[in-house]
Amino acid sequence: AGRLPNRLFYLSIPPNIFVDVVRCASLGASSKKGWTRVIVEKPFGRDSQSSRELTKCLKQYLNEDQIFRIDHYLGKELVENLSVLRFSNLVFEPLWSRNCIRNVQLIFSEDFGTEGRGGYFDNYGIIRDIMQNHLLQILALFAMETPVSLDAEDIRNEKVKVLRSMRPLELDDVVIGQYKGHSKGNKSYPAYTDDPTVPKGSLTPTFAAAALFINNARWDGVPFLMKAGKALHTRRAEIRVQFRHVPGNLYKQNFGPDLDKATNELVLRVQPDEAIYLKINNKVPGLGMRLDRSDLNLLYRARYPKEIPDAYERLLLDAIEGERRLFIRSDELEAAWSLFTPLLKELEEKKIAPELYPYGSRGPVGAYYLAAKHNVRWGDLSGEDS
Amino acid sequence: MATLSSAHCGSSIYGNDHQRARFSSIQKRFLRSGVSLLYQSNPIRNVVRMQDGLAAATVTPIESEIPLKKLKEGLLSVTSTEGKDAISVDDKGGDSTVSITVVGASGDLAKKKIFPALFALFYEDCLPEHFTVFGYARSKMTDEELRTMVSKTLTCRIDKRENCSEKMDQFLKRCFYHSGQYDSKEHFTELDKKLKEHEGGRVSNRLFYLSIPPNIFVDAVRCASSSASSTNGWTRVIVEKPFGRDSESSAALTRNLKEYLEEDQIFRIDHYLGKELVENLSVLRFSNLIFEPLWSRQYIRNVQLIFSEDFGTEGRGGYFDHYGIIRDIMQNHLLQILALFAMETPVSLDAEDIRNEKVKVLRSMKPLQLEDVVIGQYKSHARGGISYPGYTDDKTVPKDSLTPTFAAAALFIDNARWDGVPFLMKAGKALNTKRAEIRVQFRHVPGNLYNRSFGTDLDRATNELVIRVQPDEAIYLKINNKVPGLGMRLDRSNLNLHYAARYSKEIPDAYERLLLDAIEGERRLFIRSDELDAAWALFSPALKELEEKKIIPEYYPYGSRGPVGAHYLAARYNVRWGDLGLEQ
Repeated sequence: AGRLPNRLFYLSIPPNIFVDVVRCASLGASSKKGWTRVIVEKPFGRDSQSSRELTKCLKQYLNEDQIFRIDHYLGKELVENLSVLRFSNLVFEPLWSRNCIRNVQLIFSEDFGTEGRGGYFDNYGIIRDIMQNHLLQILALFAMETPVSLDAEDIRNEKVKVLRSMRPLELDDVVIGQYKGHSKGNKSYPAYTDDPTVPKGSLTPTFAAAALFINNARWDGVPFLMKAGKALHTRRAEIRVQFRHVPGNLYKQNFGPDLDKATNELVLRVQPDEAIYLKINNKVPGLGMRLDRSDLNLLYRARYPKEIPDAYERLLLDAIEGERRLFIRSDELEAAWSLFTPLLKELEEKKIAPELYPYGSRGPVGAYYLAAKHNVRWGDLSGEDS
Repeated sequence: MATLSSAHCGSSIYGNDHQRARFSSIQKRFLRSGVSLLYQSNPIRNVVRMQDGLAAATVTPIESEIPLKKLKEGLLSVTSTEGKDAISVDDKGGDSTVSITVVGASGDLAKKKIFPALFALFYEDCLPEHFTVFGYARSKMTDEELRTMVSKTLTCRIDKRENCSEKMDQFLKRCFYHSGQYDSKEHFTELDKKLKEHEGGRVSNRLFYLSIPPNIFVDAVRCASSSASSTNGWTRVIVEKPFGRDSESSAALTRNLKEYLEEDQIFRIDHYLGKELVENLSVLRFSNLIFEPLWSRQYIRNVQLIFSEDFGTEGRGGYFDHYGIIRDIMQNHLLQILALFAMETPVSLDAEDIRNEKVKVLRSMKPLQLEDVVIGQYKSHARGGISYPGYTDDKTVPKDSLTPTFAAAALFIDNARWDGVPFLMKAGKALNTKRAEIRVQFRHVPGNLYNRSFGTDLDRATNELVIRVQPDEAIYLKINNKVPGLGMRLDRSNLNLHYAARYSKEIPDAYERLLLDAIEGERRLFIRSDELDAAWALFSPALKELEEKKIIPEYYPYGSRGPVGAHYLAARYNVRWGDLGLEQ
């Protein structure tokens, strides 16, 4: 009533009516004097082409700076903290490149399946649902160059840069899986295709592992391994950075033949139970000279007793304040799709059958072979974590 | 994660465990004669010399037999590492025995540290099968009386209570006593006879631990070496500080010792080197890639070595008054830690390689300047209803003593790695807390994106690595972290490794490790003569100046944080003491 009206529309609707709603809202309900913003949830298309289409349609009615594409992982505490860790701590600065980092792993797992709501998921699959957006966003934040400032555009510029420096994903570097039924004790878990909303012969992957590479001076040759899956044995999202071996290691004889266990590792656990820990080699107290790996550990629940806000709280607040740092820009989205689209097309055209894995297991065995191909061991499956 | 329990030394069940320290140390001993570095030692000559008790450099005809013996020992040591049940090395198993003589057995150190450490080693099966412990002191005591005295201070480790008293009895049965003067060859000859009885004809290795006042060091060494050396094994002498009062007296002491002993027979103890986290310092540096690029002037702004006790001399200041805190703590303990911190990567983990690097870094340092030192002395203080005495209130201390009980110093290493980095040391008695720690303050992030999130105090925005040596061992890395919440506020949080939480086994006392190393001939944790010379060279000029000019210490109240001058010293180099921040 006479105040400066700013309007925010949050579209929580199926993607096929995005454009209609945007058209109507922008034409019929825009703010005259203040700003009008539209928050859009994923999926943003199914591939490069459909995504471009969608963007074109949206831009018939909206400017770039009115479009707020949400990726709610960007609102998670530890994902926000990733940049703080990198850029405000001198101790990490020299380590953040191929010189010191052997590989980076981005891991996502849920411990439940589609639970009768697979119909929607079946159109997209895990790669579109988790990898191409959430995990890729985290990768971009991890690997980007230092931005000019903390401004939204400066940060997003760097993210686009790094995404565009990446090789599109190839079929050789991908493993897909789908969960099958499993009985343990007297409990029986359904398979993905047992879900009545899912077509009987669906080849849609509920698990995928992929190896990505960034072709720039900082990251040349470093495998960025992603792994995402439903109906796995645990619920977790984490970033693991495995560092290289110490050259000319004085303590070689203390490690035995498995030098893989002798490297440092930085783990950022995004969820659950937020924590950051750095695995270092330490002398076991005692009269001998035995080394083991111990954690320099920051457990959020111990350090910050206040409850951590939900990602959506932050994102909504940012949208209201016009802070775009945590929303996906159109060129960013385009770069993200161009990495995955060729692969997705090939998977679907060739009707590649996913490797079946039991509900509640660690996923398909193929994931190990993919990692091994690049001389990597999955850090979350090593059995060492607390 | 499966925690590997600390290595059981010598026990054959762990024979195939490559990670035992004994494995490497035994090998090294065999290799020693072939390895020539900055320091040469002739393993053959020492046996000859000890027998003669002469300072002569000539070698007697007996020498020809010795190489074979030494070689045999060496061969034995090599084969025993490969065969779990083979004949053990010279000081273990059927062929040999170790006799440990604690000279000054009735003293405090012996009761509080040496005997308990020997017992703990025995308890852990780290002592050879055949060993004897002899106490030697002036007071008249029987074996039984010694055992009673010793038993009062023995404890079992918390996690090993079973058959403790039985083990104690077994240990005490091996303890004997001989009374004699420290400067009497006859008495030592009697000791020798007793030792031979217990050794029963085996290859005898003898360790003498000198727990006596420094003015009788040389006499005791002379008598022990001439009258009670081992004829067919090694003889080693552990010496406790003080090693002189300055460069001249230290050099003289070394010279005197070397009339009777070889370099490799002298084991100068600095018990801080046996502390868990000080040992771990090298592990941290050299086995973790993430610390490697950070360890230089490029990333490190300053290093602080802090030691504090929360009690004064408590009526026993008489001895301390001759030395002062600089000689007591700084010139040895803190300087040793500094050397380990700052040294270049050694060629290997061999004792001589490590000690070579330590000497190198010590020799690259500038001698301490008077203007870079602040000294203090605690004065009395009344708080609540309790009154704490001042240093000079101690009856054993001269009324007008200027001896510092506190000192802070800034040292510098003139090499490419550390040029311009202040190494600040601080040591004091009667302060507000009991602590020993190493603090590494890193530089600011250049072009820091988050500048405005930190406010004006950029000092608080840097990383810090803290290694708490005691109490409550821990390592923590202070990093900047986003405070969870809707804002973008940063704070400092710790990536924390708390030993009590991570390692449930009780950490052994430093003396246990050092005694074990002395028995095994592992010299890594003992101070070499050239190392000692270099250490004294850094402090002697300043000490001399302090005493000649009769510099008055700044007085600070008992139980306080120390003299204010320490802050000004730090401020001169743009440093804030990390332990006095609010963030503990």
